[in-house]
Amino acid sequence: MLRTRIIPTLLLRNESLIKTVRFGKFSYVGDPANTVRIFNELEVDELLFLDVTATVEGRKPNLKVLAEIADECFMPLGYGGGIRSFEDAQIILKLGFEKVVVNTRALEEPSFITRLSEHFGSQAIIVSIDVKRGLFWGDQVRSRAGGKNARRSPVEWAREVERLGAGEILLTSIDREGTWEGFDLDLVRSVSEAVRIPVIANGGAGKVEHIGQAVKEGCASAVALGSMVVFQRKGMGVLVNFPEESELRRILA
Amino acid sequence: MITIVDYGMGNLGSIQNMFKRIGLASLVTGEPAKVAEARKILLPGVGAFDNAMQRIEASGLRGILDRKALVERVPVLGICLGMQLLTRSSEEGVLPGLGWIAAATRRLPAREGLKVPHMGWNAVDQVRSDALTRDLPGEPRFYFVHSYCVSVDDPADSLLRTTYGITFDAAIRRGNIFGAQFHPEKSHRFGMQLLANFGRL
Amino acid sequence: MKTEFAAAEAATPMETRTPGGGAIVTCVRCIYDDRVPGIRFDGEGVCNYCRQVEDLTAQYGTGLPKGKAEWDRIVAEIKRAGRGKKYDCVVGVSGGTDSSYMVYLAKEFGLRPLAVHYDDTWNSAIASENIRKVLADTGVDLFTYVINNKESDDIFRAFFLAGVPEMGTPTDLALAEVLYRAAARNGVKYVLEGHSFLAEGVSPIGKNYFDGKYIESIHKRFGRLPMKSYPLMTFLRFMRWIMLGRIKKIRPYWYLQYSKEEAQEFLKAKCGWKYYGGHHLENRLVSFSIGLYLPRKFGLDYRNLTLSARARAGLVDRGEAMAEYARPPKVEDELLPYFKKRLGLSDEDYERVMRAEPKFWWEFPTYKKRFERLRPIFAVLAKANLVPMSFYLKYCFPVKV
Repeated sequence: MLRTRIIPTLLLRNESLIKTVRFGKFSYVGDPANTVRIFNELEVDELLFLDVTATVEGRKPNLKVLAEIADECFMPLGYGGGIRSFEDAQIILKLGFEKVVVNTRALEEPSFITRLSEHFGSQAIIVSIDVKRGLFWGDQVRSRAGGKNARRSPVEWAREVERLGAGEILLTSIDREGTWEGFDLDLVRSVSEAVRIPVIANGGAGKVEHIGQAVKEGCASAVALGSMVVFQRKGMGVLVNFPEESELRRILA
Repeated sequence: MITIVDYGMGNLGSIQNMFKRIGLASLVTGEPAKVAEARKILLPGVGAFDNAMQRIEASGLRGILDRKALVERVPVLGICLGMQLLTRSSEEGVLPGLGWIAAATRRLPAREGLKVPHMGWNAVDQVRSDALTRDLPGEPRFYFVHSYCVSVDDPADSLLRTTYGITFDAAIRRGNIFGAQFHPEKSHRFGMQLLANFGRL
Repeated sequence: MKTEFAAAEAATPMETRTPGGGAIVTCVRCIYDDRVPGIRFDGEGVCNYCRQVEDLTAQYGTGLPKGKAEWDRIVAEIKRAGRGKKYDCVVGVSGGTDSSYMVYLAKEFGLRPLAVHYDDTWNSAIASENIRKVLADTGVDLFTYVINNKESDDIFRAFFLAGVPEMGTPTDLALAEVLYRAAARNGVKYVLEGHSFLAEGVSPIGKNYFDGKYIESIHKRFGRLPMKSYPLMTFLRFMRWIMLGRIKKIRPYWYLQYSKEEAQEFLKAKCGWKYYGGHHLENRLVSFSIGLYLPRKFGLDYRNLTLSARARAGLVDRGEAMAEYARPPKVEDELLPYFKKRLGLSDEDYERVMRAEPKFWWEFPTYKKRFERLRPIFAVLAKANLVPMSFYLKYCFPVKV
């Protein structure tokens, strides 16, 4: 049986792992390569690294850190953040990453997705869709780390990226992120049912039960965990962790 | 010394990394002269079947590889697309494969609720015991990413099987020719055990 | 010249022969020998460190009714001082034996601890997992302070380039500072520490030293990045915590019966805690320091601390302890390449530093003289548990080196 993928999603800023707190502030979480070692030992299925402010701050992916991460990692790795060109993607995949994640660039130039997936294979291309619920107009896709409203609906954009050749969708609820209160299941289901490619639910996981909900009620193919894997509990200190195998099995049975 | 064949497609760095972590020496090369000296060969592969076969022919490696595999009979392990290349043909392309093992590669049928490619960690069943698959930790699982799968003509050539809609071969062997459909270099301790076994053959 | 090693039984208990033929004098009770700085042997062949442990045991009543009574009194005081607050004490945790067991101890005595961890970004998976398991099982909250990993590496690199032995120091002092900050932030007056002079001995000051000024001096000379996220305990901060904050340091293992082995069995059974294989090996930088750096560059092998303590307590046969000590320490294969990579050292850089003359703390600015001048004050503070008695004994007296 194919296991549901549970993917720790870590935030990178230059050469450190961080966690964003309100109003643009951030706190340190640890050293990327050392943290990968810990996840290696915890035998997680897959890891995603995102540098969420790279595009906004005009930064390129930090290749030195990515090489160190790839050297330590014996499970599938994905990276997103500041991937603006074909060469950016190529270098990262060559370093040993299985997948690249694109967001803003894809919204600016949708054919970018096609160019990448035709050359590298769709399984290497994840399109990240960040969603925020507006007061009047419902869910809207946003780019540039949530700063810009792309004026598209998630379902419509998801269908298009699938058509363009994306292998997977990383669907993030900006509203739920960091809240530990569970996924936006309506959002997850609406997108998962609209496309045939895998959808990774992201934003809001606080306990193992949420993972079960995302899969069973949200119909997600995979689940990303953010705050849950870097903090002891909501509001508590940094502590790298991963749910126990037995608990995951129970929840996903 | 394990020679990892570089014909322009595959996750060579990761494979070499895992060998290094296990403590086995490996060499990445695309030079026909160096491949000709190989005592053990690893054939990686990520991408499309025809593309791979074309590159192998164009690089001048075809003849040498045939000799190493079929005449000198050095141990050869094909990984992911590399395993599919060992078969006689694939539904993905029109070119013939290396044909070193009696098998064919066909498309993974799309089923209700099962997305293609088959991507993620899946459990494997041991069909028979073998030097390649010995000492795998309990409840072995590996990381798969593929849209085409292999079925051997002779069931005796099957080492590990897995199920995704249909049941197909996850690892195969005929004599000195081995194949693994999954990515051992991305399957942490399970992959390490398998590659260690190959290295110590 | 023929080398001779006298068998432990054949020679007098105090002497063994070195390959050069000269005799080393070893304590009859533990395994410290005359290479340990400041060591003296009395008429019975027992070293002054064993005697110091004896004295401290008598003074604190360790494992005796006297100690238990004092501990009970302290617990009552902690509870009283913590009434109405969310936590009444803070406990420093590292994933190691002493601190993990202490969390259970605090809960057993009805205290409401906040666990505090300083993450220098070199933790092993075992450390994180142990912390997680212990705190999940006891239901204790965690506060973590994580330093910027590049800054952390810069500080360690500075110590390495300086050629001094105290590579583990920045982390130890940072934890002490972070414990105070967490206590102050939560209105807590008590910090529980897992030091046990019985299990670890009182490490002689000798060639090893640390304080905030020392760290600052080394970093100023050999560091490259500004010190921004590193929690430096300056003298002023230290004084503020103890004089103004009146935050006390309590070491439960000075009062209560404590055996590392029993604690480990308990932890394993209770929450699946795992042993990390040696003195402080839950942190990879410390592993490097103890396993490779100190033995090769300084001929220092700190395993004698734990081994001696165990020999003193009769937990291990002295001969066995000496035999184990004679074997080289176990080191993970990947550790040295990882260390070099992280600190940006080429093989040549590494060799060059390892071969260079060792340097010591007295060659850099520190607060040592200041601590000595203020001895009478610290004597009073030690009596009041505002500084640990071991601090007073180590820091406030001049050291002959």
